[in-house]
Amino acid sequence: MAQPLVKKDDDRDEEADYSPFLGIEKGAVLQEARVFNDPQLDARRCSQVITKLLYLLNQGDSFTKVEATEVFFAVTKLFQSRDNGLRRMVYLIIKDLSPSADEVIIVTSSLMKDMNSRTDMYRANAIRVLCRITDGTLLTQIERYLKQAIVDKNPVVASAALVSGIHLLQTTPEIVKRWSNEVQEAVQSRAALVQFHALALLHQIRQNDRLAVSKLVTSLTKGTVRSPLAQCLLIRYTSQVIRETAVNSQTGDRPFYDYLESCLRHKAEMVIFEAAKAITELSNVTTRELTPAITVLQLFLSSSKPVLRFAAVRTLNKVAMTHPMAVTNCNIDMESLISDQNRSIATLAITTLLKTGNESSVDRLMKQITNFMSDIADEFKIVVVEAIRSLCLKFPLKYRSLMNFLSNILREEGGFEYKKAIVDSIVILIRDIPDAKESGLLHLCEFIEDCEFTYLSTQILHFIGNEGPKTSDPSKYIRYIYNRVILENATVRASAVSTLAKFGALVDSLKPRIFILLRRCLFDNDDEVRDRATLYLNSLGDGSVAETDKDVKEFLFGSLDIPLTNIETTLRNYEQNPTEEPFDINSVPREVKSLPLVEKKAPGKKPTALGGLPPSPTSASDAYERLLSSIPEFADFGKLFKSSVPVELTEAETEYAVNVVKHIFDHHVVFQYNCTNTIPEQLLENVTVIVDASEADEFSEVGVKPLKSLPYDTPAQTFVVFEKAEGVPAVGKFSNTLRFTVKEVDTSTGEAEDDGVEDEYQLEDFEVVAADYILKVGVSNFRNAWESMDPDTEHIDEYGLGPRESLVEAVNAVISLLGMQPCEGTETVPSNSRSHTCLLSGVYIGNVKVLVRLSFGMDAAKEVAMKLAVRSDDVNVSEAIHEIVASG
Amino acid sequence: MLLAVLIANSEGNILVERFNGVPAEERLHWRSFLVKLGVDNLRGVKNEELLVANHKSVYIVYTVLGDVSIFVVGKDEYDELALSEAIFVITSALKDVCGKPPTERLFLDKYGKICLCLDEIVWKGLLENTDKDRIKRLIRLKPPTDF
Repeated sequence: MAQPLVKKDDDRDEEADYSPFLGIEKGAVLQEARVFNDPQLDARRCSQVITKLLYLLNQGDSFTKVEATEVFFAVTKLFQSRDNGLRRMVYLIIKDLSPSADEVIIVTSSLMKDMNSRTDMYRANAIRVLCRITDGTLLTQIERYLKQAIVDKNPVVASAALVSGIHLLQTTPEIVKRWSNEVQEAVQSRAALVQFHALALLHQIRQNDRLAVSKLVTSLTKGTVRSPLAQCLLIRYTSQVIRETAVNSQTGDRPFYDYLESCLRHKAEMVIFEAAKAITELSNVTTRELTPAITVLQLFLSSSKPVLRFAAVRTLNKVAMTHPMAVTNCNIDMESLISDQNRSIATLAITTLLKTGNESSVDRLMKQITNFMSDIADEFKIVVVEAIRSLCLKFPLKYRSLMNFLSNILREEGGFEYKKAIVDSIVILIRDIPDAKESGLLHLCEFIEDCEFTYLSTQILHFIGNEGPKTSDPSKYIRYIYNRVILENATVRASAVSTLAKFGALVDSLKPRIFILLRRCLFDNDDEVRDRATLYLNSLGDGSVAETDKDVKEFLFGSLDIPLTNIETTLRNYEQNPTEEPFDINSVPREVKSLPLVEKKAPGKKPTALGGLPPSPTSASDAYERLLSSIPEFADFGKLFKSSVPVELTEAETEYAVNVVKHIFDHHVVFQYNCTNTIPEQLLENVTVIVDASEADEFSEVGVKPLKSLPYDTPAQTFVVFEKAEGVPAVGKFSNTLRFTVKEVDTSTGEAEDDGVEDEYQLEDFEVVAADYILKVGVSNFRNAWESMDPDTEHIDEYGLGPRESLVEAVNAVISLLGMQPCEGTETVPSNSRSHTCLLSGVYIGNVKVLVRLSFGMDAAKEVAMKLAVRSDDVNVSEAIHEIVASG
Repeated sequence: MLLAVLIANSEGNILVERFNGVPAEERLHWRSFLVKLGVDNLRGVKNEELLVANHKSVYIVYTVLGDVSIFVVGKDEYDELALSEAIFVITSALKDVCGKPPTERLFLDKYGKICLCLDEIVWKGLLENTDKDRIKRLIRLKPPTDF
């Protein structure tokens, strides 16, 4: 007897795993759907068939037009049934089948009947289905019923109508806007959800009417809001109103702040969080306003709910970018989150700590992070690496431990993106912190000994070739480079050969030995490697081609002054038309077609990474230099000293978008106007900018380079050149007018008419200021740099800066006036401090190094005083800096 | 906007998915992203313990309930807290319909009702009903008790 019992149990187990939809097939289900046509409807059976149809739809099965129509027609028959469960299913399947416009008509009458039914639930569902499948024309017929439904005493009906309204507002706003009286009434509803939906709809209807939104917020913040969801909406609308109204200048109070603050004591966590977030996002938020919000967020950090912890740490992470000092109180709670189960939370906690930490806590933090790194995914690791990079730039003295950390994680397992992020960071640190150079290069050398990514190996070899020869002992890198020639694939070998040649060109003592190595490469089995070795051996003087030393260096280190895309197109053309003549590089056009990518980046953003790295210090200035040197008229201006960030001369979304980049040379200033034509129906020709320099009398215009043609949506440049006295930091204001010939374009054929009309377009003014003559160049150890400068060049004076809102404002104003690089994180002012010291460094026109020490103090009446001490290589420059401040 | 509600079984096969305002070509990407997120993180997680992640400006809150994993994705006003509210409604409705944290079999047995519940909770990307008792009545076309 025991045997069959066991068997029965087995059966039951199998049954438990068996899916009710096992082996389901579309054709069979469509067959089954014929039961919908039975004169005697079996409600239960019909529900089951609909469930199967839903399952198929949810599994991604699609019905052909014929199948869908057939099912749809069959389903409409089910309106005859009085079974509630089945009716509910019918509503759902109609929505999911989303019938086409010509079929909708079949159900509209049934649905309209349901909409006026005595059964509330029929009404609610019919509204939802109708609004889903209907179009504008039908809407006008049912508008009357919808308006009634909004104020229906049954909350389900009211909500259905309101949510439908929110959706319909996207397609037929003019109709929904007529319902605002009813919606207004629904906002006062006693049912929590109705109020929530009504508030959302009312705000959407009125969102472009500031006064109406303000009135809505004023009345609701005083009244009662029943659901936490609605309260959250109200907080969002309130912060929108706050953003648009000014602070009361007499009391310094912010309107509605008290309301936000009171929400921090609400019983729903959702509301508390929303209020705290709104407060942290207020513009120019003060410490006094921020404190209560930070306190509740801090409590959330130790909540048992992961969602709350995540929300809190994410918000604090954002606050830390602008007010790092305000977040430091939470540091202990945040440190315990590093071991949080949820990796998103842990990563946010780490990156926040990296922003708020001070110099002394760096080492302890790094120890904690090391443990953490081993068990998170690559995408989180990249975030951490980027945070560490900015920390290192903030505290350059800590480069040793941070660089060690980066080199350690570089040795561990990881994907390409992660490794690239680390290598990019090390490269940026080497570039910005001179002391870190040698150790950083060695870390990179060790990395390429065991690097599986060809792209990274070649980029690093290129970088070592540029930086390695300038170190104290270049010979130690040779071993790593030559190992590549022995061990790697052809691409890497070719790179290594180029790198070896660079060492040979710059370090005379190594030259003979480099030749030996290069000669070995002549027997490589790859063409490119052999060709490169032959080329370098000849050009470096071993062979018959004798060139000057300067030519060799120019060849090895100079940038290619022709845009790569242009070479590519010219070469393709050359290939297509076979000819006896050799390819002539001079036939490649040098004009850059579109703007260099860098200009799209946010101003002030650090140039990143290996990609655009090679010869010159920044990729932006490199791109500009290439662009300018490709124009023959500017060739003899000498070295480009500085290019400003683009200054917008038009407002956003105007017909023509123009910005200007100021290029400073010793003797000249070149204004590069980047123009974009945003009208598809127009072609602009002979585009120039007429510059009125009557308020810039130290400048005289010497040339204009017009733009031949400016088609739609293809940015291009026109230039205006001014002359000024050599090395003099002349300043002045320039007024601009865009002048051009406009031709109509037939957008269907893309052809322009032959005749054009001359036209002008007024642009904004801009100024050349003292900061344009100072390069942002940081120093790693300000104190050492300061003391190594001649104290006799020091010039000290005191200035009154008048009443200021806060020290932050005063510090930022002086930094942007001078346009110098803040050092050691001193641009961040603790939020409630009354005194602050800020260290700046830079290079003045004529390549004169300048260091500035600013000491600020603020008295009770908010009057700010500043002591300015300047040291530089040239005492005249120290005085010039004082003049800039005195006249600013 | 509540961009997606997705329910999968423990092997990562999709049982129910509802996308709102997500272009068809991006759905496959989301589907595999969410399933991978679940496989990576949901092992050993207790029923209804919420996990959270964000990808650019989009938030994801997810959890397990019995044999199924539930993901909700939102942006703008549907941030992690609003989503946790939504997922709470979904899990309680599921438990209500199935009587307990469902096995896959039980889930599929109650498939029709579950679709109806989701239809009541999220409608074209907006949260509509949040009370499980009310939802229970609404899917049977019974008016709510609280008016």
